[in-house]
Amino acid sequence: MNIAVCIKQTPDTTTRIQVADGGGEIVDDGIQWIISPYDEFAIEEALKLTEANGGEVTIVSMGPARVEKTIREALAMGAQKAIRIDCESIPNDPGVTAKVLAEVLRGRGFDLIFTGRQAIDGDQAQVPGRLAHLLDWACVSVVIDLAIDGDKGTALREVEGGSERVHFTMPAVIGANRHLNEPRYRNMRGIMKAKRIPIEVVQVDAPAPQLEITSYSYPPQKGERKLFENGASDVAEVVRLLREEAQVI
Amino acid sequence: MNFALTEDQEMLRDEIVHFARQELNKDIIERDRNQQFPRDLWLKCGEMGLQGLPVPEEYGGAGLDALSTAIAIEALGYGCEDGGLSFSICAHLLACVIPIMNHGTEEQKRKYLPKLCSGELIAVNAMSEPGTGSDAFNMKTRAIKEEGGYRVNGTKIWSTNGPVADIALLYAVTDPGKGISGSTSAFIVEKETPGFSPGQKFEKMGLRTSPIGEMVFEDMLVPESALLGGEGAGFVLFNQSMEWERVCIGAKHCGTMRRLMEKSVSYSKERESFGQPISKYEAVSNKIADMKMRLEGARLLTYQGATRLDKARDVAIDASMTKIFVSEALVQTALDTVQIYGGNGFTTDYEVERTLRDSIGGKIYSGTNEIQKKILGNWLGL
Repeated sequence: MNIAVCIKQTPDTTTRIQVADGGGEIVDDGIQWIISPYDEFAIEEALKLTEANGGEVTIVSMGPARVEKTIREALAMGAQKAIRIDCESIPNDPGVTAKVLAEVLRGRGFDLIFTGRQAIDGDQAQVPGRLAHLLDWACVSVVIDLAIDGDKGTALREVEGGSERVHFTMPAVIGANRHLNEPRYRNMRGIMKAKRIPIEVVQVDAPAPQLEITSYSYPPQKGERKLFENGASDVAEVVRLLREEAQVI
Repeated sequence: MNFALTEDQEMLRDEIVHFARQELNKDIIERDRNQQFPRDLWLKCGEMGLQGLPVPEEYGGAGLDALSTAIAIEALGYGCEDGGLSFSICAHLLACVIPIMNHGTEEQKRKYLPKLCSGELIAVNAMSEPGTGSDAFNMKTRAIKEEGGYRVNGTKIWSTNGPVADIALLYAVTDPGKGISGSTSAFIVEKETPGFSPGQKFEKMGLRTSPIGEMVFEDMLVPESALLGGEGAGFVLFNQSMEWERVCIGAKHCGTMRRLMEKSVSYSKERESFGQPISKYEAVSNKIADMKMRLEGARLLTYQGATRLDKARDVAIDASMTKIFVSEALVQTALDTVQIYGGNGFTTDYEVERTLRDSIGGKIYSGTNEIQKKILGNWLGL
């Protein structure tokens, strides 16, 4: 079973994001880059499947040379191959990402393509669906449990208020959610092995984006705290302020 | 001279810290109180590859160079708050696994290294004796050659991992006539060997999760194939393993100092007295500034020693300097951390008094600091 896992390099969840003057872009300096956390569940699941059934896991990521550090972190978990799709910056338009991925991955003989359910920076959650559409493959996303039997698969997906079980036919694109598994640690042997795996660099003419981010802004500042120190006798006042001032009830 | 870490050194450091914080830091107060060695965590460390850091991949290790090994051990000292567990790993790796890696026959390496690296086997370095600690080569344990191998009699003491070990790297005198550099040989002894019995287990003030004990060898016959590095190689082999130990346990101490310094920074910024955080008092902030200077100095010495471990022929001086400087820096930093924590620091729950107790051993094991100074003095022609 040959599996591709598409990963995205995103800022560390603890990074304080800074918007450049003018609001048009995010400041890259000082950002600690990581594998988007949902993608780690995708890598783990792909590794488990190939360990059980044979085959290879190929890590795929788009971006400039700095993305190779993130690719090595994925390889250190145990993947065998890697592709970096070279581009000046990671696309903001998930349509572009999906089209480029489809072009690179089509015809390479993959049985499954894993992604995270969404990347934690853009939060678009579009790539798995759009990629599957372009390949004309099945797509199951927000997956929390997965079983493969021959060319058939069963997945449990998280839906609002519960879960949903689906059957699908391979090949398929799977969007991994938290709880799908427990991603392994990168052990020392894995880290040293990852160092030696060549990363295939692919050049693609990216299509023109169909959307453009025009500005970024910070979330509204939290207001000043108000302390109520008289216990139950303050309740009426708290309710009044929540209704009239904060306008939340 | 480039002081930056490589990408893979950064990756292994970050991953070990992450692993140690997630997996190794639960219930240490209880383990310390009960002197309990966490075999399950030992095995998890084996899966991570910590017991085989510099061992070539073909023998089950990660194949790291000496500097990367030190950086990995520093990360363990930083992330893992169980000083006894990380000490046991160091003793196993530095004083047993590395000598087998460097001096074992192909057969010995194939037989022992993969299981030592995975954590399936635990090793003990059986060197010190009741009458000879830092004066190690004055040992009484004898191995007399006879048909079928060597007959060993003697008692070893203060053997880290002794009570839980599966194999011992045993040093014994084979030919007293050959003087200090040729009289001693090293043997790999399996615990099932008739005549090998663990003696009493010792209780100690620190590193309590790392079991330490006595080992008794009574008319024990070991085959010639157990000899490591040939007859008379004990001196070279032991000194080399002490160089690794003195430098790389220094690396562990650097990690521990970084943790203590960060704890002191955050505690002193939160704890208030007379209406302001205690970090605003110079008596406190000076202590932490000193911690930072000691840490950076200690780390430079450690990295310098580590870069020479697998390149230079004689690392004894680097190892002795590192050993003295870093172990004393750690004790001072641990003492100051307890002082900054005040009454809280004196209680067990805040988990800094344990690190102080753990740190004291550093001035004693691997050859006391006094002996290290003697080595330095001799080298300077004094």
